[in-house]
Amino acid sequence: MAETTANPKISTRNVNVYYGEKKAIDNVSIDVDMDNVTAFIGPSGCGKSTFLRSLNRMNDTIVGARVEGNILLDGQDIYASSMDVVQLRARVGMVFQKPNPFPKSIYDNVAYGPRIHGLAAGKAELDQIVESALTRAGLWGEVKDRLGDSGTALSGGQQQRLCIARAIAVDPEVILMDEPCSALDPIATARIEELIHDLRGKYAIIIVTHNMQQAARVSQRTAFFHLGNLIEFGETSEIFTNPREDRTKDYITGRYG
Amino acid sequence: MSTGTKHTVTAFDDDMDEIRGLIAEMGARAESAVKAAMKALGEHDTELAAATRAEDKIIDTLETEVEKLVVRTIALRAPMADDLRELIAALKMSAVIERIGDYAKNIAKRVPQMEAKSALAGNEQLVRMGEIVVEMIRTAMDAYAKRDIDLARAVTARDDDVDQLNKDLFVDFVAYVAKNPKMATEVAHLLFTAKNLERIGDHTTTVAQMIYFTETGENLPDA
Repeated sequence: MAETTANPKISTRNVNVYYGEKKAIDNVSIDVDMDNVTAFIGPSGCGKSTFLRSLNRMNDTIVGARVEGNILLDGQDIYASSMDVVQLRARVGMVFQKPNPFPKSIYDNVAYGPRIHGLAAGKAELDQIVESALTRAGLWGEVKDRLGDSGTALSGGQQQRLCIARAIAVDPEVILMDEPCSALDPIATARIEELIHDLRGKYAIIIVTHNMQQAARVSQRTAFFHLGNLIEFGETSEIFTNPREDRTKDYITGRYG
Repeated sequence: MSTGTKHTVTAFDDDMDEIRGLIAEMGARAESAVKAAMKALGEHDTELAAATRAEDKIIDTLETEVEKLVVRTIALRAPMADDLRELIAALKMSAVIERIGDYAKNIAKRVPQMEAKSALAGNEQLVRMGEIVVEMIRTAMDAYAKRDIDLARAVTARDDDVDQLNKDLFVDFVAYVAKNPKMATEVAHLLFTAKNLERIGDHTTTVAQMIYFTETGENLPDA
């Protein structure tokens, strides 16, 4: 099933992902644009995280993992041999399930990416990038007086926002989020959701979540995956009130399995 | 709507079944109430009229119960898709069925105020109107039980007949009262009765629309 939009940031066409012999993703074609937050939902093992990880070649590190079909970022094939993977991951950032700040200071966590990508000409410029990223991640006010403290000393919710700041410090175009709130309490979750709302339009955002209320709250487009297939992709408000496919309906209403 | 599969959390199904049961009971009681009110009116049966008025309290109580259950289910189960639609529809349906009960009570209330030997209470068109709305309620509740959108559609088509009868009756009764001014009070009661029946038809149409919405996620197109 193909779902297209006028100005896709990411386009996938007939994508298959294999782990060895096992096909984890079967023929998925989907477009993701800048204006909408896209949520991937589906039961465990449906392939949604696998598919998400194929969008910035995180599966490359897994032995036996193989991607077929086309994944285009601004029309460029990200699996082309000419593609610099480090550069790709700067353009397509990722936030993981468990906050994983480096065991470094708050400042160095955010400055890490800009440093290795040579984005700042000097200390003053780097300071500015760090402040801007922390501000966009909604964390600046809480940490501005203790930038030298360890990132790991922050609360879980703050650590996750630090990871988001780290991702956006290199000015990515796409942010992939893999269950970013599953380790957070409801208040910290609400702050991340608010942040996603604020970041919408500045980045193409894709979020994988098991929490369907969360998908309903943060996204404008929702894709439902089941057994490696894309079952339905459409407006979030439609998916949650009037899904077209019985399998989608059974899943979101809690009748699955 | 439902593919028939149970929810993984079966207590959710129990909640939904309880709400469905209450709506079905409300519908059945409303249907009987309208039927009884029209019978009491036609036969000047003041006892039946009193019983009909008492019945309305039961329908009111059921509505309150539906409201409470729907709110609880939305809060505790976070329903989606057809479940959500069904609960919103249940809320709206219980409200309009409660109104049908009110109109039946209203008709019944007029019985003791009317002449025992009213020549008009048995008016053929008025009786016909009563029969049609009772049939509409029965069909709507049948559609609800069977999740049948064709039956729901049939209910809304019927409402045009009720509207037409109401208009005809108005003309006839106004002409009648011009010739028989002493009958003004009597005619006023019957005009209000016709208006009440017309409203019952509208509310029953809403019930049918809610069934269609629950099943399809779409609004019922105009007939």
